Amino acid sequence: MIELVDVTRKYGDKTAVNGLSLVIPQGELFAFLGPNGAGKTTTIKMLVGLLRPSAGVVRICGYDLVTQTREAQLRLSYVPDQPHLYDKLTGREFLQFVVDLFGLPRPLAAARIDREIAHFELADFVDDLTESYSHGMKQRLVFASALLHDPQVLVIDEPMVGLDPRSMRVVKDLLREQASQGTTIFMSTHTLDIAEEIADRIGIIVGGQLRFLGTVTQLEAQLELEGTSLERLFLTLTDGQAEPSARKLVRSHPP
Amino acid sequence: MPHETQPQRAGSYVGSSWKHEARAFWCLRRALVLNSVQVLLRESRLRVILVFSLSALFWLGLFWLFLDGFHFLDSSLNNPATRARTIAAIFNIFFLSLLVMLVFSSGIILYSGLFRSPETRYLLTLPARAERVFLHKVQEAAAFSSWGFVLLGSPMLVAYGLVNLAPWFYYLLLPVYVLSFVAVPAAVGALACLLVVHRLPALKVQMVVGAGIVVLLLVGALAWSLLKGSQTELMTPSWFREILARLQFSEQRLLPSWWLTAGLMGAADGDWADGLLLLCVLVSNALLLVQAGVWSARRHYRPALQNLHSDRAARGTLGLGWLDRAIDRVFCFLPARVRLMMVNDLRLFRRDPVQWSQFLIFFGLLGLYFSNIRRLSYDLSHATWVNMISFLNLAVVGLILSTFTGRFVFPMISLEGRRFWILGRLPIARRTILWSKFLFAALGSLIPCLLLVVLSDLMLRVVPEVFFVHLLACVLLCLGLSALAVGMGAKMPNLREESPSKIAAGFGGTLNLVVSTIYIAVIVILTALPSHFYLGAREADPRGILFDFDRLRLWMVVGAAASVVIGALATVLPLRMGFRAFDELEF
Repeated sequence: MIELVDVTRKYGDKTAVNGLSLVIPQGELFAFLGPNGAGKTTTIKMLVGLLRPSAGVVRICGYDLVTQTREAQLRLSYVPDQPHLYDKLTGREFLQFVVDLFGLPRPLAAARIDREIAHFELADFVDDLTESYSHGMKQRLVFASALLHDPQVLVIDEPMVGLDPRSMRVVKDLLREQASQGTTIFMSTHTLDIAEEIADRIGIIVGGQLRFLGTVTQLEAQLELEGTSLERLFLTLTDGQAEPSARKLVRSHPP
Repeated sequence: MPHETQPQRAGSYVGSSWKHEARAFWCLRRALVLNSVQVLLRESRLRVILVFSLSALFWLGLFWLFLDGFHFLDSSLNNPATRARTIAAIFNIFFLSLLVMLVFSSGIILYSGLFRSPETRYLLTLPARAERVFLHKVQEAAAFSSWGFVLLGSPMLVAYGLVNLAPWFYYLLLPVYVLSFVAVPAAVGALACLLVVHRLPALKVQMVVGAGIVVLLLVGALAWSLLKGSQTELMTPSWFREILARLQFSEQRLLPSWWLTAGLMGAADGDWADGLLLLCVLVSNALLLVQAGVWSARRHYRPALQNLHSDRAARGTLGLGWLDRAIDRVFCFLPARVRLMMVNDLRLFRRDPVQWSQFLIFFGLLGLYFSNIRRLSYDLSHATWVNMISFLNLAVVGLILSTFTGRFVFPMISLEGRRFWILGRLPIARRTILWSKFLFAALGSLIPCLLLVVLSDLMLRVVPEVFFVHLLACVLLCLGLSALAVGMGAKMPNLREESPSKIAAGFGGTLNLVVSTIYIAVIVILTALPSHFYLGAREADPRGILFDFDRLRLWMVVGAAASVVIGALATVLPLRMGFRAFDELEF
């Protein structure tokens, strides 16, 4: 599971994330929403160990990401919005490198690679150099690499960018399937439909502070906008000229 | 909804041992190299052949030069002790200079490798140990920064062994010596880079670039002090002894360059014990330094990365808008759209420190050298000698300009491919884009190049006829080299690559560099040879009894006219080719 305890992150004088506290239990699919510059990417970087909090603690499955980085990262997988792939490796060589770093025994590693190749339908191109892949093919390979070691926590930044409808369906099903198998999923997205469709809970961050945490139904109830789309709710909550009920909600959820 | 229990995931969270992690990175490196070689052999065979042929030619040329040099020393210095001391002095200063340069180049390469590269950002999200990622990048930086040393040093050391009739084990120890020597500056550069970013993140690039400039100036000052202060005439025995005495600082026994020199010379003389002992000293120190880097990375790499990101403040511009306005006014005779594109290129140029710092260092060092020509004890009383130096200076200006046009101007068109979504929609003809690139490169290079050539000629006090020939040749070089880079950049763009250095290092960039070098040679030879004969004749026969000066002057005019024709062809043809290719280019 994921725990953020009173996490603050500053860049010089600017505070990107301010006192964020959040617990995401095992098997939950959590969608992290917010306008541009709200602090989503900084939060994700802290969750995967690329940034340290200026204050507070980030834990993955109980391991502190600052003091027990390796233990935490062994249980974690990260799918960035713009993944790095080695152009001059084939998809299979890339998967092999990842399983080697996770220390999977050879027979298990081979079985896992075959499993993910089948799962993401990579067989047609997995032995080609990744420089020849389209964006969708790259994204599928990165998802495959992220699931090779059966992570307990999966952090995903904008999972649907550049995917065709079929690939999007595959990813949505995959995320739900992973969550149902006990994987904790933290998904940052601007695609509100997907958050609405597959997330167990949503969190909305604005100006580095968590403005809402709960289900879509709870958000509807609190904004007194029942039967409204998540898009409308999101815009209402993040708009500077928010409706009185939204302003009331903001006041009732202090950072 | 959340599950209460976590299924058993045996063997997934152990992580790889040090040994397995090392093997994983080794397999990664091997696969990357093998695949790259296969792709090169399959898709760029001509480029591979060209690069290997030129490298082999370069190696053989150097080998012949060194062989001749060592034979010369062998025959000129009869006393074995003096000979050994002279060679030791040459080796010591050469290896020490390389040591300093490699420390800086490794440090600078590692700064981007460790702290700016998408690869390390990715690796640090995996359970790879920070020190392993560090080691992986140090090996890469060592290879990148030292291939030049191998290309330069190996012909020298092989030639030394052959002239000295070195035993077989000298050649056996040679690669081990070179490898362990290269590891020392790579590890020192890596440690310095890590500690600077960890402790002084606010200074980062500016500090490294600043320190690099300081070291270059120190090296320049040292070279100057070696030559300038000489009280005796150049190339005499007393001058030679004076120089050797001044180089003694490079013979400190705690320097890795001394271990390398003394060990190799011992091995070449058949002294097994000395050769092996100093090799062990070098290897053990190299290993210790690498290990110190690994220990340091374990503790400081991630915190250093954090410090760097924590300090990331909003970046403003330098308030140089007046420069843009000035350029706009100075070039008011050009069409407004061309001026607009030129100003845009100028902005991009000055906001990229990598571009202007290299430009500044190269041209700054040349300026320093030219302004001190008179102190370098050249024999300036002979007109032919002055003429030769002045044309060599012109050639050096051209060669440095060609590295600039190859590295920065050639990739400009390829990089525009990524911005073409906006450029292509603007009411600007494609030709205007190319014209602006050409004018930006040509006018931008004319000012510093002409200044340097004028400075060189004033210091050398060349005769007016030659001075004007130099100015003409300089203008032709600036126009031709800019047109070649722009035209070939448009003809052979690499729209998939984001890195300008990789675009420049591709086939098109290499071909542009080769063609540019040939062009410089042609222009310089066409203008230099007639001047050389004319001045030589005037010196040898001031009254014009043996030589017909009018005829020789005519040759100068013919040479200059031929260079103008070739310069015009080198400017017009690549541009036409580039215009046509750019018009047909699909982005």
